[in-house]
Formats: sequence, structure tokens, C-alpha cells
Amino acid sequence: MTKNFFEVNNVDFSVGNKTKVKNVSFAIENQGDVICLLGPSGIGKTTILRTIAGLEKLKKGSIILNGKTLSSENINLEPEERNVSLAFQDNSLFPHYTIEKNISLGSQRNKEKKEKKISLKEIVDLLDIFHILNKYPHEISAGEAQRASLARSLIMQPDLLLLDEPLSNVDQSFKEEIQVRLKKILNKLKITTIIVTHDSYEAFYLGSKCGIILNQELKQFDDPYKVYHLPNSIEVVNFLNRGILVPAKVTGKNTLENWDLGTIEGNFIKEYPEGANVQLLLQPEDLEHDDTSNLKLEVVDRKFRGTNFIYTLRAPSNTLIPVFVHSHHIHQHEVDEKFGIKRPIHIDHIVCF
Amino acid sequence: MRINFWYISSFVISLFVIIPIITVFSSFFDNTSNYFQVLKDTFLMEYIFNSLILLVSVLILTFFIGTGSAYLVSFFNFPFSNFFKWALILSFAVPPYIYAYSLTAFFENYGTAYTILKNLFGEGNYNQIIPKFDGLLGVVLSISFSLYAYVYILARASFLYQSQNIIDLGKNLGFTKFKAFYSIILPAARPAIVAGLSLVAMETLAEFGAVDFFSINTLTTGIYNSWIAFDDLAFANQLSFFLLLFIFALFILENLSRKNAKYHFNTKAGFKQKQKIQLSGKKAFLAFSFCFLVFFLSFLFPLSQMMYWTIKFPENLFDLKILDLLMNTLYLVILSSLLLIIFGLISNYGNRVNKNKTLNILSTLSISGYAIPGVILAVAFITFIAWFDDSVIKNLGFVSIKKVFIGSILGLVLVYFIRFYSLAYNGIKSGYEKINISVDESSYLLGYSKRKTFMNIHIPFLRNSLLFVGILVSLEIIRELPITLILRPFNFETFATTAYISASEDLLEAAAVPSLFLILIATFFIIVTSKYILRDNND
Repeated sequence: MTKNFFEVNNVDFSVGNKTKVKNVSFAIENQGDVICLLGPSGIGKTTILRTIAGLEKLKKGSIILNGKTLSSENINLEPEERNVSLAFQDNSLFPHYTIEKNISLGSQRNKEKKEKKISLKEIVDLLDIFHILNKYPHEISAGEAQRASLARSLIMQPDLLLLDEPLSNVDQSFKEEIQVRLKKILNKLKITTIIVTHDSYEAFYLGSKCGIILNQELKQFDDPYKVYHLPNSIEVVNFLNRGILVPAKVTGKNTLENWDLGTIEGNFIKEYPEGANVQLLLQPEDLEHDDTSNLKLEVVDRKFRGTNFIYTLRAPSNTLIPVFVHSHHIHQHEVDEKFGIKRPIHIDHIVCF
Repeated sequence: MRINFWYISSFVISLFVIIPIITVFSSFFDNTSNYFQVLKDTFLMEYIFNSLILLVSVLILTFFIGTGSAYLVSFFNFPFSNFFKWALILSFAVPPYIYAYSLTAFFENYGTAYTILKNLFGEGNYNQIIPKFDGLLGVVLSISFSLYAYVYILARASFLYQSQNIIDLGKNLGFTKFKAFYSIILPAARPAIVAGLSLVAMETLAEFGAVDFFSINTLTTGIYNSWIAFDDLAFANQLSFFLLLFIFALFILENLSRKNAKYHFNTKAGFKQKQKIQLSGKKAFLAFSFCFLVFFLSFLFPLSQMMYWTIKFPENLFDLKILDLLMNTLYLVILSSLLLIIFGLISNYGNRVNKNKTLNILSTLSISGYAIPGVILAVAFITFIAWFDDSVIKNLGFVSIKKVFIGSILGLVLVYFIRFYSLAYNGIKSGYEKINISVDESSYLLGYSKRKTFMNIHIPFLRNSLLFVGILVSLEIIRELPITLILRPFNFETFATTAYISASEDLLEAAAVPSLFLILIATFFIIVTSKYILRDNND
């Protein structure tokens, strides 16, 4: 008997004969946990959800929910035999029924055996879809359809809820609010959920764990904080677009030396022998601006991002280094000006490859 | 792959529909009687020549009438243009054989035209100046005025979906209206027009009633004669095989000529609703006259001719057991439509849930039944039953099944089923294409089984499509002649067979009453379905 609530063991996820993601293993420990899968478009995230839901067959590995095998080489429960709900990215509402009827169809599943933890009214209020209840799917916007589809999945109170880019069509202005509401509902209902998204901030906010899928593999499956600050591979670094890699030499237990920046101190997340040549991950927030510093680099570009500026600096070796500066900073630097870097340079988590 | 109820059902239905096609092809290797030699030495070339002439003439005429009227009502506003939009499809209510009766009745010696002239100008030798539309010309006119609506409907649908953008592009390039029509509008509508002409071609080659009435020898009447007069089923099947090759060659030619050209936009993006051009003065009058002439000749003329005779010879109205004919016709229509809808639905759903190559090929073959003339299907069905009875049933020691299937309602309905299966299958399929596959998947994920998804999600969604398909099939069955004629039980008549029998006995006046009823019932069905047939964004 497995101790995890949900497990994916060595599964190859494929569509027809084409394998999309190979040898995937991850687990959701407790009922009610929410995890997110992140990856670029077309990588196979949706295939993973469809396979878990039983819409695609599995050729290798096993998928186990609450101790029961849903899929393996020999077993394949039909979608209707699993208590798993999938909210599709695109509108999958029944076109000939009103939104209210569409949502109430969701509540008909499990109506005998489950106590109602949430009413239709509560879900409708939380997702703000009261005004479309009497409309038909073709009469509402893509964002509204996505929320209606989400409502239908939630009201089912499935053992496992799968959300495929649940908020991709929701207006940016409304997105954060819906994220907060969604998190509240999932917490309240204690529904184990897997969310697929390409929005890393959405994943970091909603998921207690995040999986990064790249190049047909699950590269990292960890806490959002670790995925963000302690990426385990160069591919993950590149995918999250977190800084650059610069050459450095390990000079001590807590120090290393870079040709352009000099000595850098901090805590290595992995041990390296003294004298080892490594690639140091330098993230935009690792360096601090200091007008009085004697370490000056040339400004190549400046991007205004609301709360901060991102300066791109050219080092003597021609490496381009990004640096965040709070946008309230009084002294703005123009292109070609010199930009001071605070010394000594201290990085909390030194990530090297 | 998991074999399930839906797979097996779809497989069996498709296989059943393919049987006549297999029978026709396998008959190619059978021995025939001396009739083949006789025919080869005498009439075979005439059959082929007549069929070709008929085909080419009808295609040219239906192209001009169908495309011309569709162009006028799609691009221009003129007096009664909205009325003509649907009135022009009423010609479907008049089968070619009834049109042939009207044509003869009007222009024959001392016919209706003679009576009109006599009433207007007094006694005179008018028979010499009244033109005679009989023989090949009569057949061409009868078929063309009855079938141009296929081209009209499909061309109009295509014109309707042409974006204003491409028309504006033509203006921007400095094209005149005429140049824009033949270099932009017409080529863009080509697949639709060709699809319409293909239907006309199939129906023309399959036409029996009008061709037989005007005593023109074509391949279709050859098939009928070789079976009826010479009792040579094998040769009837061989002729059918040639006719089928003819039809398939047409399809292949059209496909080859298209090459890789694309004629439509894949998405709605960039589509701009057309603005119709308001016509006035002489142009409006010409457009109105053209459409009115087509409407008059195709519908009002045969309708009024049949009404005139029904009123002139009221005794025919009382001689006929109208109620019996109505009940017989409706009985066949309801039974066949129900069967077609139920099995068409099951087969479509089976294909949808199984996504299996074998099933897909089988279904594609099964919908070719519509390309096979009714005469051939009836003959192939009899051939198959006779073979099955002799080779299987009797060998197993069972009682002969011939009587169960030949000359019975069951046999008749089964052959209707084969003939019109593609109509039902494709009609339901086009409804199904509007249901995204994720709707099915959502349903499974809501805990619905395949059966429940079918019953609770698909059928309510397809309700309108099913109604449309049902009425379309009914319309075809009401008009159908050769299958009913060959396979109906003894003493079982419909409006179509009664009209045919009276006409073939030279009792055209008596043919008027059943013809009139047939036209009226068919008109009713067309009016009910017109909003589906003429679906467009403007309505």
C-alpha cells in the first residue's frame, strides 16, 4: 500500500505512437495538496493531464490514486470510472445547455455519496459568473467560459482535479483576484489538484510543489522557492529566464572568483573542491547598485518594469550582466554611463553547474 | 483496440450497406445470356451515346440556371429577391418524370397549349406551330428543371461565405463586375458548383422515370430491360458496373483537375459580411425576370398543369384511393426515415468513439450508395438475396427467404436504407462535426458512460440535424420511383408508382392526381426544411 495520495511512477506519456514526456515520476503526498506543472507550449503538459484523466492510454509505468491503480501497462480505467475531473484549456462546455445546466451536470456526479462541501451559489459567487448563468456557451467570452468550466469541475468534488491552463483566457486585470479565489476554494474543499500552466508566477502562487517539464523530461519537482532559487539544471535556469551563467573558480569553502566581478561570497548549495572551474548562476537580484563602488560596469540597456529597472551591464570580458534596481532609486543611469556594483558581492545561495 | 457495442454496430451497418456494391462488382465475372451479344450488336452504343449526350446537356443547362440564379440572389437586391431565395428550391418537389408528364401534357397535339390558343384566338390548326418537347430534348429539360436546385443550393451557400474582402480586392484591382464574377467569384465557388453538378450527374445517369417515359434508351433503361425483358440479372449487373465506372471516372476527373488548389479560408478570421448591391430599373427587371422564369418553368408550370388536369378530370380524383396512397407513402417514409436516422446515428457515434482505420474505410465505402442508381441497387439486392437463398439458406435446409425480402415492405425499406444511407450518414456527420471532441471527453469526466453521453449529450444537441435529415430523406423517398416500382409488394402503390403506371398506360390525365399530391407533400416538406437548406448568416 502506497503512502502517497497520488503517484505517477516511471510513466511515458504519449499521444498515439508519439512519446511526449519520458519516464516521469512524482507524487502528491497528502489529499488536498495542489501541485503545478510548468513547461513551454507543446511540451506535453496537457498530455500528462489527459493520460491521468484516462483520455490517453499509457504504455509504460503506473498511475495510482488513493491506493487504486488508475492506469498501468495492464490496467486502464475508463475516464468515467475514475473520479477525476479535467477542466480543459479551451471551451468544453456543452453547447446546447445553459451555463447553469452545464455546471449542475457536474454536481450530479457523486451526489449520492458525498456531503456537499460547497453549493452552486458559493462557487458561482467565488468565480463571479452569476451574470452568465442563463446564457449559452456561445454567448459568453473565452474567460467566462473558462471560469464556468472551472466551476463545473469544482462542483464535482472529484478525488483529483486537473486544471489545464485554467486562467489563460482570463483578463490580466482579473487574473490575480481569481487566483486568490481559486486557492481559497481548493483549500476549503481539500481537493487534490494538478495545475498545468506556462505562467511561473501562477504556478509559484498556487502550487505547494512545482514540476518543470523540458526536453521530454520532468527536470525538477520541488517547492516553488527551491525551483526558483535553486534550479537543478541549466535548462531550468534558461526556462525560468533567471540570470546568466558566468565562469568562476572556487577559491574557498564560501568564496569564488570571477574575472569581471572579483571575489564573490556566499553559501554553496553543492560542495565543490577548491580550484574547481564552474559556471556561476548570476541572477538579476544578486548584484546591488552602489554609486560609490569602484567596481564600475558600462550600461548597455535599461528596461523600465514598473517596480524596478533592469539594467544590462557590459563587463570587461564583454559578458552582459542583468541587475535589478528599485524604480524609486533617485539616480537613473543612461546608456553608456558607468554603473557601480556594491562590494563585497554576497549571494545567499550560490548555484553552480 | 477494445471491441465494443459501438464498434460492432458501426461495422455491421457499414457492411450491410456495402453488399450491393460488392454484388455489382463481383457480377462482372458471371456468365450472361445471349442478350449481351444481341445488345452489343444492336443498341449498346446507342445506350452509351444517349447517356453521354443526356449527361453533358443536363450539366450545361443546370450549371447556367443554378449558378446564374444563385449569383443573382446572393449578390443583389431586386424585387422579390428574398422570395426567390427559397422559392427556387421548390423545383425539388417535382421529380423529372412528373415534369416530363407536364411537358407532354402542355405541348402535345390538342394539349393544354392548344386549348389556351383556341380559347384566345378561336379554332385553328395550332398543333403545327406548337413546339414539341419530347425525345431527348424533353428528357434534358425535365431533368434540368428538376435538378438545377442542387447546383443552386450549393453555389449559393458558397457565394454566401465569400468574404466581402475578396470582392473588394477585385474592385481594387480594377475588375468590372463581369470580370470579378468569372475570375474571382466563380473560381472560388468551384468546389461547391462541382459538388452540385456531381449530384446532378449521378441523378441524371440514374434517372429512370423521365427517360422511360420519353422512350430514350440509356444505360439505366438498359439495365431495367435486361432484367425485366430478358431476365438476365448478371448482365444487368454488368451494365451497372459500367455505369458505376462512369460515375467514379467523373469523381476522379474532378479531383485531378483541382490539383492542390485551395478554395476556402480555414478560419472565420478575416471574414467580412457581404453587402448586397441594390439593383434598380432595367437591371432589376432583368434579374427579376430571370429568376421568375426559372421559378415558373421549374415549379409553377408543372404544378399548374397537374392542377388544371385534376380540375378538368375530377373523376380521377374519386377513382383513386387517395387515403390508401397517402398512408402507403407515409408508412414507407416514416419507417425508412426512422431506420436511417437511428442507424446513421449509431454508425456515426461508433466511428467517433473508435477512431479505427478499418471502420473508417468501411464507412467511406458505405456512403457511396448514393452514387448507385436505384435500378442497380434494386437489381443488386435481388441478386444478392437470390444467391444467399440458393447457396446458404437452402443448403442449410431452411425455408426460402426470397419472399421475405423480395416484393415485401421489408425488402423495399432495406433498399431505401442502402440508397439513402449516405444522405442520413453525412447529414448527421455534419451535425456531429459541430460537437468538439472535448465535449465527449468532458462528459466521460463527469462520469457519463459512452451510452449516456450518446443519449444525454449528443442526441439533444443533434435534435435539429436529425429533424432536417429525416425530412430530407422523406423527400427523397416520396419522389423515388425505380426501387419502389421493382421491389414493392403486389398491389401496394404509392403516389409515385401510381403516377408512373398511369403515364406508362398513356393515361396522363390520370397521372395528374397522384403527381399533384406528390408535389404538394414534397412542397410541404421543402418549406419545413427550407430554413436549414438555406442556412445563412443574414437570416
